[in-house]
Amino acid sequence: MTEHDDHDLGERFHALRREDAAAAPALRATLAAARARARAATTPRRRTLALGAAAIVLAGVALALLLARRAVPTDLATVRLKTPTDFLLALPNEDLLRTVPHFITIDSPRRTP
Amino acid sequence: MSPEALQLERELDQLHPAAFGWALACCAGDRAAAEDALQASYLKILDGRARFDGRASFRTWLFSVVRYTAAGQRRRAVLRRWLPLAFVAATPDGRPDAVTELVRADGTRRLTAALATLPRRQREVLHLVFYQDLTIAEAAEVVGISLGTARTHYERGKAALRKLLKEELE
Repeated sequence: MTEHDDHDLGERFHALRREDAAAAPALRATLAAARARARAATTPRRRTLALGAAAIVLAGVALALLLARRAVPTDLATVRLKTPTDFLLALPNEDLLRTVPHFITIDSPRRTP
Repeated sequence: MSPEALQLERELDQLHPAAFGWALACCAGDRAAAEDALQASYLKILDGRARFDGRASFRTWLFSVVRYTAAGQRRRAVLRRWLPLAFVAATPDGRPDAVTELVRADGTRRLTAALATLPRRQREVLHLVFYQDLTIAEAAEVVGISLGTARTHYERGKAALRKLLKEELE
């Protein structure tokens, strides 16, 4: 990279700077807009924050009340955990393993002494 | 108004055109976003949320504040675009706005178009060195990177920019 190249790039950037400077808003206008925006933003923002906080608290209380009312004591003995991979443990005819087999009794003819 | 505040305003007044140019660069040429970033930066400075501690020059410090503020606005704009009803209010999308591009001369339009294709860090370092006439060390301070990294971005960016401008002329 030569110094001439740098100078050429510098010239291009300086032309851009001149254009931007010509289009720049006045400082007073920028400051006035900034202050107006800050004034406008502060009150509604505080009000919105207060309303939001109140809504969250109310929703929390309502949810807690609802859950407390709906809460049904659970008998842990009746609970059976079922995981998404339970089907992998399923065996064909597994019912047979859980029931007591029923043996058929066959009446044999009595022998006479 | 206190003498300190008056002095601050005087310093801002001197640097205002340069700060606007830097805000435009930070907002990828979007004028509305640049004005927003500049207003928010001045507010931070005037109400004391951003304090000049004298470690760097006032100019590099001001540019850091503008860069940080513009980055925050960019993040918020990205978030806002994902929110429902984002289409109701236009949010800056990181592209130069049509009016700004329209009023630019042909040469500068080519330069801004070429700059827009470069990675952000390269673009920032080149802008600070060529547009704002800062040294590479000062540019590194503004961007918050080491001098070596800034030098790398400067050299790579310059080579890429020259190539792009040359290609466009051919």
